[in-house]
Amino acid sequence: MGNPVFSLKNICFSYLGRFPALVAVDIDINSGEKISVIGANGSGKSTLLHLLDGLIFADSGKLDFSGRALDELSFKDDKFSRDFRRKVGFVFQNPDVQLFCPTVKEDIVFGPLHLGFGREEIGKRLEKVICVLDISGLLDRSPHQLSVGEKRKVAIASTLIIEPDIIILDEPTAGLDPQTSRKIIDLLIQENLNGKTVITSTHDLHIVEEISDTVYVFGQEKRIIKSGSPDSILADVPLLTENNLVHVHSHRHKDKVHVHPHVHLEHHAQDI
Amino acid sequence: MKNSNLLSFLKDSLFSEEYALKAGFMQSLDPRIKALSCAFFIIATLFTKSIPVILSLYLLCLFLACVSKISLGFFLKRTWIFIPLFSLFIGLPALFSNFTPGEELFSFKVAGLMLVVTSSGVITFLLFVLRVSTTVSFAVLLSVTTRNFELLKVLRIFSIPQAFVMVLGICYRYLYLFIEMIENTGLAIKSRVGRIGHYKKGQQIVGWSIAFLWMRSYQLSGDVYKAMLSRGYSGESYVLDNFKTDFKDWLWLVLTGVILIWVIRFSH
Repeated sequence: MGNPVFSLKNICFSYLGRFPALVAVDIDINSGEKISVIGANGSGKSTLLHLLDGLIFADSGKLDFSGRALDELSFKDDKFSRDFRRKVGFVFQNPDVQLFCPTVKEDIVFGPLHLGFGREEIGKRLEKVICVLDISGLLDRSPHQLSVGEKRKVAIASTLIIEPDIIILDEPTAGLDPQTSRKIIDLLIQENLNGKTVITSTHDLHIVEEISDTVYVFGQEKRIIKSGSPDSILADVPLLTENNLVHVHSHRHKDKVHVHPHVHLEHHAQDI
Repeated sequence: MKNSNLLSFLKDSLFSEEYALKAGFMQSLDPRIKALSCAFFIIATLFTKSIPVILSLYLLCLFLACVSKISLGFFLKRTWIFIPLFSLFIGLPALFSNFTPGEELFSFKVAGLMLVVTSSGVITFLLFVLRVSTTVSFAVLLSVTTRNFELLKVLRIFSIPQAFVMVLGICYRYLYLFIEMIENTGLAIKSRVGRIGHYKKGQQIVGWSIAFLWMRSYQLSGDVYKAMLSRGYSGESYVLDNFKTDFKDWLWLVLTGVILIWVIRFSH
């Protein structure tokens, strides 16, 4: 850790110049860090990730990538553009957006082919990534034939095959069954242990502790309202409740129905 | 036909790859060789004026369908559904002396108009119908025995630009998504309002659906472009070409080439 890869100073962004999506955002992300961005729907998480991936550009403020300004002008430099795309991989929230080729195989190799990797190298990487994600049986299928979980795995494979230093994921576990979610979380932890920077947006608080060194909480005003370690954020139940991140939850325990905010912080241990 | 049936038919025709995945003769060929050989057969059919030769080519097509493990009933239904549309109605006037003069076979009156069927008219009509049915059959044989994405890749051997092929591939990919969206919209309407009584209300709902679909496709195109940019797309398109030919493919191509040359020579 220690080398800032992304530095955001007072970043503001609005859609059509009228609808604010991010207001005065300040974040520093160091190499090898695990970052989580949490917030309710429409709080600006996805917009932030799109900015980090150089897909949209801030209205005001300063966004640097490895010390160089990340703006439209910088992407006019082909070398920078290619290097950036090789270093930063993005998994979109909706896998149907990311899987646009007629077959899974073509989707997975789309990135490396367009980033100028050799055919032999692509073949090797393909073998590796399908083995890691256990999707060898899907290669010749069309993306529309896949289940949501399979689509998500293929979308992740299409990003991981580039072997980026920074992996950005927009709600990677949304709508997935527990087992597939677990596999994806384990994969992200492993990638981080291998030295990758992992930036995840989610509102699934169960996974936040495992996938974060630092958590940023976005509020409805589209600004960061709190940041810190996962423990300190998850312990702030009033903040989470106020921002629609936890809800009052009723369930049966030892033949007794009880009600508590739905955040897993050893509350069950106190009940026993 | 109900809308849901129409959508199922569309889905089935566009996305079912049941026969393309079978282990038959045509499926075993390299898609490029297969497309070229079908093109040869179609050219041969168009060049000849001999009914027995076209009939032989048609029978060869049916034989190829059988050895490719395609149900003959399915194959005939797939091909003959279009033939009356494109040939019977267009070719029918050729039967009569007004269009094809010649020796009279028989005549009849329709609404006071005397129609004379001539022998040369019958031959012209038969030639037209057989030609259409044979060429359509070879085209259907190619499409049924080849996976859709392979068919798209095959377009490149005809020097169609890569970008165009890629756009076609993306269109094909999202067609399914849009058909599903239309289906779901239909179901959502049905669950809330049941049967639509008045046609004006129906028109209004169709209008909304078209507008919704247009907005959704517009939004999706922007998102897909971002996803392409994110993985290094910069205006140039590349694809992994992994077709492989073997001795059998080349032998088949030579054989179809010989048939084409023989048919052309025979016709002259």
